[in-house]
Amino acid sequence: MKIICLIKFTPDVDAFEYDYENNVLLRDKVKQIINPDDACALGFALQLKKKNPDIRIEVVTMAPPSVKKMMEDILRRQVDFGTIISDPLFSGSDTLATSMVLGTYLKTAEYDVILTGNQSLDGDTAQVPSQLAALLEIGHMSGITNIDEKSFINGAPLVEVDTENHIDTYKIPFPAILSVCRESKYKLPFVRYADLDLDVSDKLEIVDNQILKLDIKYVGLKGSSTRVVKTYVKKYEQKEKIIVYNNPEGIETVYRFLKENGYLK
Amino acid sequence: MNKEQILNALGTMLTAEQINTDAEDLYDASADRYKKYAKAKKVLDNPIPTAIVYPKSAEEVKELLTFCNENRINVIPRSGKTATEGGLENWKEFAIVIDGKNLNKIINIDPYNMQATVQSGVALQDLEDELRKIGYTTGHSPQSKPVAQYGGLVSTRSIGQFSTLYGGIEDMVVGLECVFPDGHICRIKNVPRRAGGPDIRHIAIGNEGTLCYITEVTIKIFKYFPENNLFYGYLVNDVATGIKVLREVFINGYRPSVARVYSEEDARQHFYHFHEGKCVLIFMAEGPKPIADACGEGIEEAVEKFSDGIIKKVDSSLIEDWFNHLNWSQKDIDDEVQEMINNDRHSGYTTEISASWEVIPQIYENVINRIRTEFRQADDLVMLGGHSSHSYLNGTNMYFVYQYNINCEPEDEFRMYHHPLQTIIVEETLKLGGSMCHHHGIGKYRNEWTKEEHGSAFYMLEKLKETFDPNGIMNFGNIFYQEEGAKFQK
Repeated sequence: MKIICLIKFTPDVDAFEYDYENNVLLRDKVKQIINPDDACALGFALQLKKKNPDIRIEVVTMAPPSVKKMMEDILRRQVDFGTIISDPLFSGSDTLATSMVLGTYLKTAEYDVILTGNQSLDGDTAQVPSQLAALLEIGHMSGITNIDEKSFINGAPLVEVDTENHIDTYKIPFPAILSVCRESKYKLPFVRYADLDLDVSDKLEIVDNQILKLDIKYVGLKGSSTRVVKTYVKKYEQKEKIIVYNNPEGIETVYRFLKENGYLK
Repeated sequence: MNKEQILNALGTMLTAEQINTDAEDLYDASADRYKKYAKAKKVLDNPIPTAIVYPKSAEEVKELLTFCNENRINVIPRSGKTATEGGLENWKEFAIVIDGKNLNKIINIDPYNMQATVQSGVALQDLEDELRKIGYTTGHSPQSKPVAQYGGLVSTRSIGQFSTLYGGIEDMVVGLECVFPDGHICRIKNVPRRAGGPDIRHIAIGNEGTLCYITEVTIKIFKYFPENNLFYGYLVNDVATGIKVLREVFINGYRPSVARVYSEEDARQHFYHFHEGKCVLIFMAEGPKPIADACGEGIEEAVEKFSDGIIKKVDSSLIEDWFNHLNWSQKDIDDEVQEMINNDRHSGYTTEISASWEVIPQIYENVINRIRTEFRQADDLVMLGGHSSHSYLNGTNMYFVYQYNINCEPEDEFRMYHHPLQTIIVEETLKLGGSMCHHHGIGKYRNEWTKEEHGSAFYMLEKLKETFDPNGIMNFGNIFYQEEGAKFQK
C-alpha cells in the first residue's frame, strides 16, 4: 500500500510572543511547525507502517526550499520519501491555486490513499483537501477523529467523524482523501536519538514548475481568486497579574475568578 | 551461576521476607532519578536486578558480600533511594540490591558527647525528629531530608541546606562501621580527633557503594536555637554581585546557615512572589542569640559594601516563608512520576559543581553561553539558570538548574537533553579547575570524567578500588568508567 501524506508547515500561532507596549506580534520569535492536523494524519500513517512495514509513505508539501531541514526531520521518522513542491512562481497562491499545483503533482503520483489534516492552523482554512478530491475525481471525508486500522488495510476504511452532536461512522473506499482532525490524538513520533544525523538526502526530491509545467495563469497571485480586503494584527491586552496566598482571602479570590469565568457553576 | 541458583543461595542466608523478587520493585530498583522519565514511562533498557535483599545486621551484610564476591555478582548498596546520578542504576545481568530498610535502629543519642549513633537505614528525618524533642538537631538538611537515609547520605558525601554553618556530612561523621567485599567488618571508633595516620573515615565516606557497605554511622549533633533565626533577602543586579557578597561574608569569618544567590531564571521559580525579574540573594543566621546577631551584622556590612549592585531589600518574612517550605517529600517524588506518565513532562534536572571564588562566575557565564549556542535542543529549554547555595572560605558551588519541553521518545530523553547539558557543565567546570560534582556524587553518568577530575591523584582512587574490591563486584560503573557500561550512557 502507498500512502501520500499532504502536509503544510505553519507558524506556531498558538505559541507566539506579543509586544504589548507596541501592539505587535514578534514574528522572528514565531517557530515553524508541522500543521497539527497534518501531524496527526502522518502520525496515523506511521503508526500503521510500524505494524505493517510493507506500507510506503510519501510526504508531500508545497513550500519554499527553506523547509528542507524540517522535511529531513520528517524523513528521519521512517517516512520513505519526501517531495517539496516549490517554485517562486507558486508564491502567493491561495487555496485554489495551491490545489491546482498539488493536484497536478498528485495526478502523476502513485497512491492508494491520501491522508492530510482537516484544517490549517495559520489560515483556519480547510478547502484544499476538498478541492483536490474534485480535481482528482476521488472521494473525500473531512473531520475524521478515528480511523479503523483493519478496514483501512483492506482498502475501505471505517472512519469516525465528529459532528459536534454525535459521532458518525462512514465507510469510504480507496482511492480517497481523508482529512484528519487533531482531536484524533494520533501522535507524530519523534526522531529517534540514533537517527538525529541520519542522511536522508536521497529520499528527498524538489519538484518545480519545470516538471509540473503549469500555466502561470493558474498559480501564484495570478491564479488566486481570493481577494484580501484588509489584514490586521489582532490586538491583545496584557492581563493584570494578581498574586494571592493560601489564606481565606486568596481562596475567595480564586473561587470568584473561576465562577465569573464559567469554570465553576 | 544462574538466577535460580542465586536466589536459592540467598534463601540459605536470609528469610523469605528479606528477599524481594517482585517484578515492579525490581524494575524500580534498576535505575534512579537520572533516568526518571524513561523509568516512569516503563522503557528502561538496562538489566533488572536479580533481587533486593534486606539484611538485619552487619553479619548478614558480611555473608551477602562474601557470597557475591566469591561468585562475581554485582552488588548495589542502597538506602533512601534518592540518588540522582545513576548511582543506583544496574548495568549487570545479575545484581543484588542490598537495601538498608531493616538497618533502621537509632542506637544511641548522646547529648553529653554531642553525638548520635544510627544504623545506615535510619531516615534522617526520624533522627532529626528525635533530636528536636530534646532541643538538638542533626544540622543536616538536604532537600531529600524526609526520604534520605544515613547510608546513602554518607556514601554519597551528601550536603544539607545549612551546610555553611554545620558543614557537609563529611564534617559530621565521627565514626562508622562498614563491610568490605571480602567480608571484613571495620569499625572506625568515635573520637573527637586523632593523628593516627590518614583519616580512614574518608575511604567509606563518598565511596558510592564501590568499596564497602556502610552499616552504622555516628554523627555529631548540635544545639538547636530556632527562636534566634534571622532572615535576609535582597534583589541584586547579577549573579556575580551576589557571589561577591557571599565571599565577603565568608572571608570575614561569618557562618550563616543559609547563604545563596539565585540567577534571574532560577529566582523566578523559587521566589515568584517577589523576584521582580531580578537575581535574589538570601541569608539565614542562626545559633545562640549573640552569634546569630553578630552574623546578621556581618551580612548587612557585606551587603552595604556592595550596595551598588543591590537593588533592594526584601521583606524578611518572605524569606522565612520560603525557608519553611524547602524540602520535598515522597509525595512530591510520586507526584512528579505521575506528571511524567500523564503529561510527558518533568520538573527538570540539576547539575552541581564547585570552584574557587575567582572562577565560579566565569564558569557560570561560560556554561550558559555554551548551552545557548551549542546545545542542539536549546529551543526546547524553558528554564536555564542556577544558584550558589554552599559557600566556603575559598569558594562556592553552583547548582545549574534546567527544564525543557520534552520533544523526543522517552527512551532518548536523557541522551538528548540531560546528558548533553550535564556534559557542557562538567567540561566547562573542569576546564577552569573546578570540581564537576559538588554533592550528588559521580554516579554512573559522570564516570567518564573521573580521571580528569582527580588528575594524578586518580592513582590513589584506583588503588583503593583494586585493594578493597579486586573482583569489581561493588556497584559496577559507579565512579570508575567501564567500557561495558558505555552502551547505557551514550
